[in-house]
Amino acid sequence: MNPTLSELEAQASQGEAAFGGDAHIVCDNLVRIYKTEGVEVVALQGLDLLVQKGELLAIVGASGSGKSTLLNVLSGLDIPTAGLAKVAGMDLLAMTAKDRLRYRREVVGFVWQQTARNLLPYLSARENVELPMKLAGKARRGRASELLELLGVGYCADRKAPEMSGGEQQRVAIAVALANSPQLILADEPTGELDSETSEEVFDALRKANRELGVTVVVVTHDPLVSEQVDRTVGIRDGRTSSETLRREDAEGQIIAEEYAVLDRVGRLQLPRDFMNALEMERRVRLELESDHIGVWPAREEPSGEQ
Amino acid sequence: MKLLLLARVHLGAVAVLMLLTLSACLLVSGLPRVMQAAFDQALRQSLSSAPAVRVDLTAVLASSGAAQDLRERAQFEAQDEQLRELVPAPLKNLVPPPGTGTGHASAKTYKTPVHESGGWTFINLGWLSDSDRRVDWVEGRAPGEPTQMRWRGMTIPLFEVGIVGEARDLMHLQLGDTKIIGESNYAAVKIVGIFRAKDAADSYWTHNSDILHVRQVVPPGKLDSEWYTTALIPDAGLSALSGDDRNLSYQWVLPIHHRSAAALDVPELASGVNEFERRMKLQPGIFAGSTLMTGLPTVLGHFLTALATAQTVMFLVLGGLLLVALGVIVLAVQLLIDRMDHGLSLTRARGGSLRQVAGTGAGLVALAVAPAAVTGYALSYLFPGPVLPIVHLGPAAVIGTALAFAAARIAVTHRAPLHERRDDVVAARPSVRRITLELLVVGLALAGAYLLRTRGLTTQVAQEGQDPFLLLVPLALTLAAALITIRCYPYPLRLFVRLAARMRPAVPFLGLTRAARARSFSVLPVLILLPALGVSVFASVISDGVAGTQRLAAWQSVGAPFKISSERELTAEVVERVRQVPGVRRVVPAQTATVQVGHTPERAQIIAVDLARWRKLLAGTPISLPALPATASGIPALVSHELRGRGTFEIGWQSRLRITTQGVIPAVPGFFTQGKFIVVPFDVNQRPAVNTLLIDGNATPAALAQAAPHAKVESRAGALAAIQDDPLTSTVRDTLLVVTVALASYALIAVVITLVIGAADRARALSFLRTLGLSDRQAQRLTVLEILPMILVTALVGLALGLGLPAALGPGVDLSSYAGGLSVGDYELDLITPAALAAGLAAVAVLGAYAHTAISRRRSLGAVLRVGDLA
Repeated sequence: MNPTLSELEAQASQGEAAFGGDAHIVCDNLVRIYKTEGVEVVALQGLDLLVQKGELLAIVGASGSGKSTLLNVLSGLDIPTAGLAKVAGMDLLAMTAKDRLRYRREVVGFVWQQTARNLLPYLSARENVELPMKLAGKARRGRASELLELLGVGYCADRKAPEMSGGEQQRVAIAVALANSPQLILADEPTGELDSETSEEVFDALRKANRELGVTVVVVTHDPLVSEQVDRTVGIRDGRTSSETLRREDAEGQIIAEEYAVLDRVGRLQLPRDFMNALEMERRVRLELESDHIGVWPAREEPSGEQ
Repeated sequence: MKLLLLARVHLGAVAVLMLLTLSACLLVSGLPRVMQAAFDQALRQSLSSAPAVRVDLTAVLASSGAAQDLRERAQFEAQDEQLRELVPAPLKNLVPPPGTGTGHASAKTYKTPVHESGGWTFINLGWLSDSDRRVDWVEGRAPGEPTQMRWRGMTIPLFEVGIVGEARDLMHLQLGDTKIIGESNYAAVKIVGIFRAKDAADSYWTHNSDILHVRQVVPPGKLDSEWYTTALIPDAGLSALSGDDRNLSYQWVLPIHHRSAAALDVPELASGVNEFERRMKLQPGIFAGSTLMTGLPTVLGHFLTALATAQTVMFLVLGGLLLVALGVIVLAVQLLIDRMDHGLSLTRARGGSLRQVAGTGAGLVALAVAPAAVTGYALSYLFPGPVLPIVHLGPAAVIGTALAFAAARIAVTHRAPLHERRDDVVAARPSVRRITLELLVVGLALAGAYLLRTRGLTTQVAQEGQDPFLLLVPLALTLAAALITIRCYPYPLRLFVRLAARMRPAVPFLGLTRAARARSFSVLPVLILLPALGVSVFASVISDGVAGTQRLAAWQSVGAPFKISSERELTAEVVERVRQVPGVRRVVPAQTATVQVGHTPERAQIIAVDLARWRKLLAGTPISLPALPATASGIPALVSHELRGRGTFEIGWQSRLRITTQGVIPAVPGFFTQGKFIVVPFDVNQRPAVNTLLIDGNATPAALAQAAPHAKVESRAGALAAIQDDPLTSTVRDTLLVVTVALASYALIAVVITLVIGAADRARALSFLRTLGLSDRQAQRLTVLEILPMILVTALVGLALGLGLPAALGPGVDLSSYAGGLSVGDYELDLITPAALAAGLAAVAVLGAYAHTAISRRRSLGAVLRVGDLA
């Protein structure tokens, strides 16, 4: 029996909602093209990403792979060109300026790589934390001190940025990002300028926010120290998610990391470059379906076969 | 955000903004007040220097018979009161109460002949309401009541009168004389007293010069003179004075007091006079048949003509000043916004709404601008002068512009929360719309300038006010020049860049490339520098033009460094004494007179002088004289335009002389500028009667006056001072100077602020280049090369604009009233001052660039790179 039009419509919308389900962050075929004076740069070329609520996720990738663009899109500072981007049920493409402001105030907080960019140098740590609350018109007494204490920088409350170390500044910056109790924190290389010991402290602070406040944390990083400590690491290459690494504890308490390639919704797969180079795969590969896997083979030398 | 904290953090930029606002508001509010005060003073001076008879309101009523006779003082006073009630409001302030100033009433007979004098002697009778305050009796007594006497079988009235001393001497009248006057209805006058004026110099006597002075008139076609005097009669004499018997007229003088006159009220005053006359005619009573005699509208008209020009120049330069001041303030606001950019971006990213961010920025700007503007506004009250609307509007415009620019600029920048600038990409192609708009502005400006030159201006400035066209055209021209500069200056620059690319040193190439790729806000300095230079060059050209013409006018009015002229002959001893005065180098004697042309009543002015010697005396001065070629027959002469084409004709001087026209002379400096005049050689007369000496040297006028008593000594320096001391002239000059200095300072500040705004960007670029091996010296050269093209091009265009404006405005700016009546037509392009202005600006800009690199060198390379990375 043929379905009615309304049934088809319901099916279609069900199908749409099905991707990602109730994930906290949903990016589906996300495209961002920069057009500056006639020059086009495609920073995101159909990126898919799902992040669950309360997850601590790292995004890794080479310079120029689109990590920061993704983060800017997720933080509501940048608007994607096409695709779907939803955070906490809010569609980032369809938001009005007012929604976007509310989104930045209530849903998301972020931390930049450059320590000096996160804080206003002429305000004390406490005042810096209070600033987003005041901007949102929801100043709560004691909240700033609580946050600073939680992140282990309570003693810096009355210091200004130049009087703090890089690590302290970044932890204050995390407190600033947490000020309005957001559901999501985005951190762009928060440990990029720090030594390994300080990095550890800053990452601990992020983890604390994740564990104790239940905030979803997305960290863009180059730092293996960071990427090795999260449950999931997403690799981005050429504006697409290319791989995922999942970590879990085995029975003996050993951390086991397993790297997966990402299969997108239409069945595309990015093979790691090392694999391709090792087998000199180029242009074409041969796939063979087995009972429990798909084999990928280099194309055979069959000159006649081409004709 | 705490504004005070922000202000403390950005103290430097805030202080610059405050200072600029303060100075701008002070200038914009103060200068118009000072100017208006000077205009008022000029009006008062022109009212007070004009004779009272010219400016006062005089109602003249010719008595037509006994019915209209006024026989008592009280009647005059009642009429005076009635007349004063008719004065309309704007004039009322200028008319002082009865009994003060030159106000009075009088009754006078006119053309009252003395019986049996053959019609050559006239004794008029005059009554002055305030004669007791005005005259002293020096002989005899004050006249008393009229009586009657019998004469030739008739009973006629006998007036007791007083006469002035001059009448006794010149008309051979004696104390005690009794004269019969009148043609049919006779009366007798008995001279009982001789009087003199208490203060003969008082302007009051211009109303009654017939009483104070004997008038000698040579009727046309006669050789002898008629003599007139007016004898003073007392109040009681009025009772015997009737319009039936004599030509009798009554005058009521309402004085005009200059002290409360204001230049702004002048148009109302002029219409007030008309209104007064209308009311007089409409009012039932004796004034309906009277006439209003006053030269007040003419005096006011002359003043308005001079004032209109002053206002035009002032509007132009003040408008330019306001524009430039606003531009520099906008630039300073830009500097402050640049400094706040990090904080504002962060605030916006952390959830600040556009209103919060723009509000914070505008709030800080307001914190800097408002108190400074109010202070400047308050300080302007220290200047004398009336409060004009511009005094309030100027500071309001400054505050409004600064706030509007700050809010708009921040709103545009932070509309999207993340603003990433791509500095590495060449500027966008201008849109068609923008090019069309620019072409429109340029076209309009050129068309406006063309129309202004061809159609001229509204000449009825006094009636119709300023021609707005005159004010718009320079503005449009400046804007057009700025647009053309901004649009076109990259082209020659690219040529240089191409040349520089082929040269071995890298610095010129890098510097010029950076200049060619400057960010769009370099438009702002061009928009400031151009009008600043344009207006200041314009001001200095006008100023030079006026000063030069004033010098010329002073030479024209005296004709030599010193001129001694006398009504009597200057004897040989006097001439010799003058020659001996220390400092006197050359003395050229001359004779002047009025001569008869041919055998007709036509008269002409003549001067007999040795032209060759006079020419030598004038060598190296702004004026020159033509040579007088010799002639075969007759006396060679130069004649005025009105006498040209007569060839050889006769004149009657000491003897009949036959002169031959050898050329036309438009004016004889120091003597004649219009009418009929003749220049002949010195020795035309058998016995030269020298009455004028032209002197060269550096003697003092006092010494010359001592050497030639009874003669009038004029000096060129004195004439120049007289022209320059006129309040309008000195105001125009001083304002031009102040504005020039202010504009030059603003231009410099604009350059410095531009350097500071680009400092971070430049420091980063230089640091990267230094890691590649750029030396400090090269870095300095690079900075200078980067800023120099903009300064040089703008300076040249500004110079051209300033020099071109007077030509473009042409007839619109007539400064003749400030130059002793000579028209300041062809502005002599004295390039020194304007070129010095432009060169000085360029030099200081270069110094600024050097200083800037010298300061930035102190920062360590690593720190700069790191900071640059963060910006």
